[in-house]
Amino acid sequence: MKHPPPPITAQRTGPILAGLVLASWLFSLAAGAGELPATTAEGFAIPQPGREFIFPRDHGSHPEFAVEWWYITGHLTGSGDERFGFQATFFRRALKTSGGTNLPPESAFGHEQIYLAHMALVNKSTGDFRYQERLNRNGWDAAAATDTLDVRNGNWYLRRMATNAPDAEAFELHATIGADIDFQLRLAPGKPPVIFGSNGVSRKAAEPSAASHYLTFPRMAVSGTLALGEVLRTVTGEAWMDHEISSSQLGKDQVGWDWLSLQLLDGRNLMAYRMRRTDGTTDPYSTVAWVDLQNRARHTGPDQFQWTILKRWHSPKTGADYPALVRLEAVNPATGRTEQFLVEPEVADQELAGATGGVAYWEGACTVRDGQQKLIGRAYMELTGYAASLRGKF
Amino acid sequence: MAPAPVGISKILWTRFTWRHWCQAPVSSFLLLLILALGVATFFSIRLANRAAVLSFQNFAGLITSQSDGIITAPAGALSESVLPELRQRLGRSPVTLVPVLEASAVAPTLDAHQTFGPRPTFQLLGLDLISLANLSRPSDGLQRWFADSDPTQDSGKDFLSVLDRSDSVFISPALARRDQLKTGSRLSLVINARPVELRVAGLIPDDPRQPAAPVNLMILDLPALQHLTAREGQLDRVELVLPEGPQRAAQWAHLQQRLQPPGDAGPARWRLSSPAERRSAASTMTQAFRLNLTILSLLALLVGLYLVFQGLEGAVVRRRNEIAVLRSIGVTSRQIQRMWLMEAATIGLVGGLLGLGLGWLGAQGAVRMVGLTVNALYYATSVETAPFDLPEAILALFLAVLASILAGVRPARTAANTPPAQIASRAGAASDPPGRFLGRPGIGGILLILGIGLTWFPPLHLAGGTRVPVAAYAAALCWIFSAGIFSGSLLAGMGRLCQRLKPGSVTLRLASSQLRSPSGRHRLAVASLVCAVGMTAGMAILVGSFDTTMRGWIARTFQADLYISSDGAQTASSDSRIPPETWKAVAAHPAVERVNLIQVMPLEINGVSTLVVGNHMDFFRDYAHPAWVSAPANDDVFRPDRNAAQVLVSESFAARFNVRRGDTVTVPTPGGPRTVTVAGIFSDYGNERGSLLLEQEQFSKWFETDLAVSLILAVRPGQDPETLRAELRAAHPGLGIFTSSYLRGEALRIFRQTFAVTYALELIGLVVAVAGLAFTLASLLWERRTDLNTLRALGLRRGELAGAAAWEGALMAAAGTIAGLAVSLALGWLLIYRINLQTFGWTLQTDRPWGQLAALSLLVLASATLTGGIVGRWAARLPAEREE
Repeated sequence: MKHPPPPITAQRTGPILAGLVLASWLFSLAAGAGELPATTAEGFAIPQPGREFIFPRDHGSHPEFAVEWWYITGHLTGSGDERFGFQATFFRRALKTSGGTNLPPESAFGHEQIYLAHMALVNKSTGDFRYQERLNRNGWDAAAATDTLDVRNGNWYLRRMATNAPDAEAFELHATIGADIDFQLRLAPGKPPVIFGSNGVSRKAAEPSAASHYLTFPRMAVSGTLALGEVLRTVTGEAWMDHEISSSQLGKDQVGWDWLSLQLLDGRNLMAYRMRRTDGTTDPYSTVAWVDLQNRARHTGPDQFQWTILKRWHSPKTGADYPALVRLEAVNPATGRTEQFLVEPEVADQELAGATGGVAYWEGACTVRDGQQKLIGRAYMELTGYAASLRGKF
Repeated sequence: MAPAPVGISKILWTRFTWRHWCQAPVSSFLLLLILALGVATFFSIRLANRAAVLSFQNFAGLITSQSDGIITAPAGALSESVLPELRQRLGRSPVTLVPVLEASAVAPTLDAHQTFGPRPTFQLLGLDLISLANLSRPSDGLQRWFADSDPTQDSGKDFLSVLDRSDSVFISPALARRDQLKTGSRLSLVINARPVELRVAGLIPDDPRQPAAPVNLMILDLPALQHLTAREGQLDRVELVLPEGPQRAAQWAHLQQRLQPPGDAGPARWRLSSPAERRSAASTMTQAFRLNLTILSLLALLVGLYLVFQGLEGAVVRRRNEIAVLRSIGVTSRQIQRMWLMEAATIGLVGGLLGLGLGWLGAQGAVRMVGLTVNALYYATSVETAPFDLPEAILALFLAVLASILAGVRPARTAANTPPAQIASRAGAASDPPGRFLGRPGIGGILLILGIGLTWFPPLHLAGGTRVPVAAYAAALCWIFSAGIFSGSLLAGMGRLCQRLKPGSVTLRLASSQLRSPSGRHRLAVASLVCAVGMTAGMAILVGSFDTTMRGWIARTFQADLYISSDGAQTASSDSRIPPETWKAVAAHPAVERVNLIQVMPLEINGVSTLVVGNHMDFFRDYAHPAWVSAPANDDVFRPDRNAAQVLVSESFAARFNVRRGDTVTVPTPGGPRTVTVAGIFSDYGNERGSLLLEQEQFSKWFETDLAVSLILAVRPGQDPETLRAELRAAHPGLGIFTSSYLRGEALRIFRQTFAVTYALELIGLVVAVAGLAFTLASLLWERRTDLNTLRALGLRRGELAGAAAWEGALMAAAGTIAGLAVSLALGWLLIYRINLQTFGWTLQTDRPWGQLAALSLLVLASATLTGGIVGRWAARLPAEREE
């Protein structure tokens, strides 16, 4: 196998944990079942139920945890009929505990934290997909503040804009891809974040330590500029942002996961993940979460949904066969009715081949249709563990 | 004149030119070979020079591909605190910043006996191993670094273990093969006078798009190297890499504008330059040295061309009858001329091609010699091979063909002027000998005076501090020509003298009768010998003077007892330093009476590279006994309390920057430019870039460093330096410690090593000149073959004829040698007082190595006599010319 396998963590861990970064911490997963300890064997914090989140501090970094990411995916429209999808991901991975303090020592070239970031842009009209990965150590060129949202990696950054009014809260994202793609976006959540899971903890596997704090702004208003080559245009759209904090998320027999964020035209949002096990079955800790207009989430288990792959796409780059048309049939806990969502990529090749991190995955803009083929929303889908599995390495 | 049928050239070529070549394959081949030798000399030196310049490589370039820009400090190290500032200035620009730290290291000497001088040095490159992942485009990223590291470990663990310890080093696959190292192997090195043990963390990955990592390259994580070299917080430079894409050019313009140092906010903290600018700075540094080599190598080519001329002239004479026949059957004189020019061009082409092959081979040897010098005097190179270079090859071939055609112009005209057979007569044939202008002493006199006039001209100043003594080179040329002309008169005089003495020897009488009124061909052969002998002897005088001067300087300068530097770091290019805790411990030893602490900062003043040196001025005065070009007016400069920014500069510095005592110089420092006053100028032969001596405390403050390059110790009376040396060596195994007597010998040895190339070139020039003499004799004797037959008919034996030829050769060689030695004295003066002084700013004490000059003369005389004898024996066997 050319690439190290993808992580078998829960949901969106995929790319982050890529390769080496990832691999080192997989050893720390051995937290035993039973009573929930406060820390992992290595001394990283384990998400505890009942945690009270305080903002904007909790938008910032939590170095007492091993793994953290800020993950934005969204859909943009430019002038005329130009339509784009974008992904902006900032990962943080602790290589060692910070020794009781929250702050890593001041150093231009630290090695307490590793920051990986992925930027991607897909032009839905032309099918052109571009992405870039970046890896840096904590220090002069990559950092994440602990008191507010301010994370950067090279010339890429995501930060909370200065404001006192909680309603006016907004984030600023800057990304470039290569020499000629540049987007600078203002992201306004409008509502407080959704906190997924039970009592502030989102479980990923049977092991109780495999869990995260999972905070999401499911539909942020986006406005800004996008430069393609010399042409600068203004863009508007909607984005989904996850902020997830954990120290270990892996189940022992998981090979990868499928993840979906659905933004429906009727205003509802859904988040769904299916943890895939070695035997091809769906892990019981998989879930579909229904988010209502007030950003309240209701979780349903695998017995309440059916995840069917109708078509596959073969990647010429990595040889992986990714799902290319997915039917999600799920029972709406509010109505008890089963709803059907047909999720289809807008562009087949939205694979991030993993040159830097060493793990290939697919993360792409999709359309959502109902059983009658009527367009009912947009989605981003993430597919990991198809190019290679972590199993066999451990 | 009606145009000739198309096929005539071809017929002439195959039936005439080619046939003659085939009839005398040995001499044809020799002619080609000698021309090839000339071309080869030129080509190999050019290739070796090129390789030495190219080897000033940006080692980081192997990893980063080509960077687009380089940020350095105006002076000294770059603080890593500029990094966030640069990122902020760059704003949204997608530039990857690659901080780089460099160091060198050597393998420790295990036994007590240390040798001075360059040892195999490792180049240590400190790079942020994590952000390297962002550079590979396209590639499989960091795994290439960590993939093979240890199959039993997973890559992530290994990755962390590399970052977590500062002794992890990545080595080149070539070194791994050579020394049988693998991941986990231990490696002992001396870095900055400190023995360290490193662990091989992996191999530098091979990248098919890049040249393979040199065997001596090692890569460490940047903070680890900072720690190992005690340079925490410091960088040598930051390389800027722009992403690929159509916007790249626009991005670069934007970036240059963004990184302009602030005009108002204090001194500039960085300097932005392009990689091309850095490479050209390196090539400027060695420009003078390389130019001198090129000029020397041209000499061999010129002598080779003279031979082509000789060979063609001889051929015209030998084939005169055939030409006459051709003319009488209607071949036009223009066609004849074209045929000869074609022959000349063919000789140039074939000889040139042969020369390229020989030259490429020679370059592989020369490159090591050139590299040795560059290493000792300028910067670290790891050059071992000189790659073939097409433009250089085309230049050499072009020169060979062009010059062959030029050499063929006259013979071709002679051939074209050959009358048709009907009116041909032998008397007419000899009426137009070559080199007639050489028989005019008046021209010689004019050239002599012109040369004298040219010595008053100053050198040509090029950018970067390079000075080229154009007028002095021209003067040398004038004098060589002038001596060549006078040597013809000398030859005639010698011939007449021999006649008058009426020697008993019939062979000498025969020889001298030929020389009484020497032919143009005689004069040419002697003139070329004058040129070769003059240049060789002139260089011998220069090198001899250099040697004497160096010996005096070394004896004067190395008067203290012990000299200490980081082990294996005794070249100008070394960047090894002694950390303060080490030099303080050494200085505190009870047997030490006085200490001089030497600190060095290479930097650029007004775009010209030079060295600023920190040292104790009073120690310098007391133990280095400087010879003053311009002595300080008072003692203030030697007293730290009264020094007040006064400096001493070396003679080469004064020449490079055109300063005199009392002038001020502005020196860039991390804290901004400082102005110093030149209090005195001293002679120095340590380096050609020039040095500016600053009081050590001042230096330490201005350049914010307490790392020393070397330490010089004076031992208390009654203490034995050898004992102290052994004691210090035991306490500090990373130091190279030498006594002054040992150092004096070694310094001279290294100095002499740097002249190795020069000697090789001169030898080639001399061989070519003697071969030319042989050719001349051969064609002279050919012309006289009827006379030779008559002489044999009169009863002379072959041995006697050979003896006559030997005498002829010997007398010509004698005339050439005498005139050559005479001009060499003038050239020696020119080399010492004009060319060398103007190029390097080194005043030398003249010394004429008479022994060497005598040996040279004997060598030329002996080989000329011997060749004369061999050619004469050959000529004596020539059949008599058939009567028509």
